[in-house]
Amino acid sequence: MTQTWHVTYEIFRKKGDQSTHYDRFEMKVDPDEYVLDGIERIWAFHDRSLVFSHACHHSTCGACGMVVNGVEKLTCITPIRSVTKDGGVIRVQPMRNFPVISDLSVDMTVFYQRMESVGHQPVVSVGFEDSKGKLDSEDDLLRLSDCIECGLCISACPIALTTPAYLGPAVLAGAQQSGDLNPCVLELVDSENGAWRCHSAYECTEVCPSHVDPAWRIMDLRKKLVARRIKKFFGVK
Amino acid sequence: MRDGFDVTPRSGEGAGLWFLKILTGFLVIIVLIIHLIVNHLIVEGGLLTYADVVRYYQNPIIPIMEIAFLIFVVTHALMGLRSVLLDLHPSNKVLKLINYGLVVLGVGSIAYGTWLILVIVGRG
Amino acid sequence: MAEHPQKPANLIKWFDPRNKSLGSWAFILNRITGLGLTLYLFLHLIMLGQLARGPEAYDGFIALVKNPIFLVGELLVIAAAFIHGLNGIRIGITSFGIAGGKQKQLFIGLMTVAVIAIVYFAIRMFTH
Ligand code: HEM
Ligand code: HEM
Ligand code: SF4
Ligand code: FES
Repeated sequence: MTQTWHVTYEIFRKKGDQSTHYDRFEMKVDPDEYVLDGIERIWAFHDRSLVFSHACHHSTCGACGMVVNGVEKLTCITPIRSVTKDGGVIRVQPMRNFPVISDLSVDMTVFYQRMESVGHQPVVSVGFEDSKGKLDSEDDLLRLSDCIECGLCISACPIALTTPAYLGPAVLAGAQQSGDLNPCVLELVDSENGAWRCHSAYECTEVCPSHVDPAWRIMDLRKKLVARRIKKFFGVK
Repeated sequence: MRDGFDVTPRSGEGAGLWFLKILTGFLVIIVLIIHLIVNHLIVEGGLLTYADVVRYYQNPIIPIMEIAFLIFVVTHALMGLRSVLLDLHPSNKVLKLINYGLVVLGVGSIAYGTWLILVIVGRG
Repeated sequence: MAEHPQKPANLIKWFDPRNKSLGSWAFILNRITGLGLTLYLFLHLIMLGQLARGPEAYDGFIALVKNPIFLVGELLVIAAAFIHGLNGIRIGITSFGIAGGKQKQLFIGLMTVAVIAIVYFAIRMFTH
């Protein structure tokens, strides 16, 4: 049985240098639809000037991250039911800690560059180390890496909030996952704006839609960096 | 910052300072708990009087512990303060001033505290 | 190109716990108690200077702080010390890769210890 809910979308709007405001749209929705579906209908039937990004619609491309009622969500897999009630409000804002291009769309260029430069692997072997321990696999099956580069973790991080120079959870997690701590990567992660900047708020792990557990990876990266320094100190290669 | 990569070498957060912060934290909690117990639970009336403090310092272990505590806690507190200040992203110039300021404050308070402890020991 | 949104004015946002999870509460508490203890430490050192001025000066001061208002203040300092210190243990060990996946349970456990210690101190201080 499909249900119908009346909800109000409050959408953050910003164009160029104009001041920001919220537009309200009264919508009839099925609570089992996703937040993104409503936004698309607003664009299709109410306001063609609304800018937002998405692509795959199934949590693979990482383009549709937004702040929904104050919490970072991958909007294409976030059911309306989980964020509001019948007659309720859905306030949609662009991700925090990124420059806003227009409305709900943010500029993630710097983030993608950083991911690349720490050697984040988009494809990893099936047997892979995660916070639940190490799975070892004999064969060399490959799968997509967990991190879909959605940027939600950076939006949620209180330290990313204070400075754009902080590499951010996904990037540090990417370095940990790639396992290749060459001098270039080390210069980035073993530094003021790398792994030592984190203050353990664990928000990244909380919002990550993809079981990357970035906070655990940052801690693991620290352990690896300290071990490396100790080895270097005693001259072990 | 160029292209999102800020690698200008400066003494921001780093492995060494961070490790020191954790280490001093662990040392502080041990002595601090002793400190709180001595000052609140053991004494009659809840607080040490002048005579109590002087008597307390007669055991030679106590002033040593107290000086160590002073050093750890001041170091830890000022490094913590520095982390908070770093989150306001100071420019290199301001950071340098902060560094000088904190070192002066730290050395000053440790010197003053040690002097005070030695004065009280001398009154015994 | 659009500007990065970070500004020093974000200072207050550190302390905004709305829509945040447990880890942020820990971060906020750690920051507030850390700054509070730092302030106390320096006040403490200044006031201990009374010791150098002899028994009358110091004991006069002690008589003043036995006042219930000061006792409450002292209890706050003790509470901050336990909360910050025990939370510091969580940060320390998780940062070495220990119990990283269990940080919430660890936080709740350590804060339970902190609450017990604070209550114990409160009872002892106010029943004298
Ligand atoms: C009781 C034992 C203590 C332990 C185990 C401890 C541990 C820690 C740790 C691990 C941090 C790092 C937090 C982070 O960077 O994420 C920290 C931060 C800090 N600590 Fe302590 N600490 C203790 C006592 C104190 C005391 C007595 C003071 C003040 C006199 C103090 C002041 C600070 C400050 C100002 C910070 C910075 C807060 C921040 O970065 O948000 N700490 N402490
Ligand atoms: C509210 C509870 C507290 C009371 C009643 C108290 C009382 C005292 C007293 C009476 C002394 C002098 C002799 C002694 O060691 O007993 C002292 C010294 C000291 N306290 Fe506390 N204290 C308290 C909390 C703290 C805290 C939370 C810190 C850390 C931030 C601290 C740091 C110190 C230091 C570093 C010294 C040595 C100072 C020196 O150089 O002479 N105290 N305290
Ligand atoms: S770590 Fe998680 S939240 Fe962060 S970018 Fe990757 S998938 Fe998104
Ligand atoms: S649209 Fe691709 S992840 Fe949501």
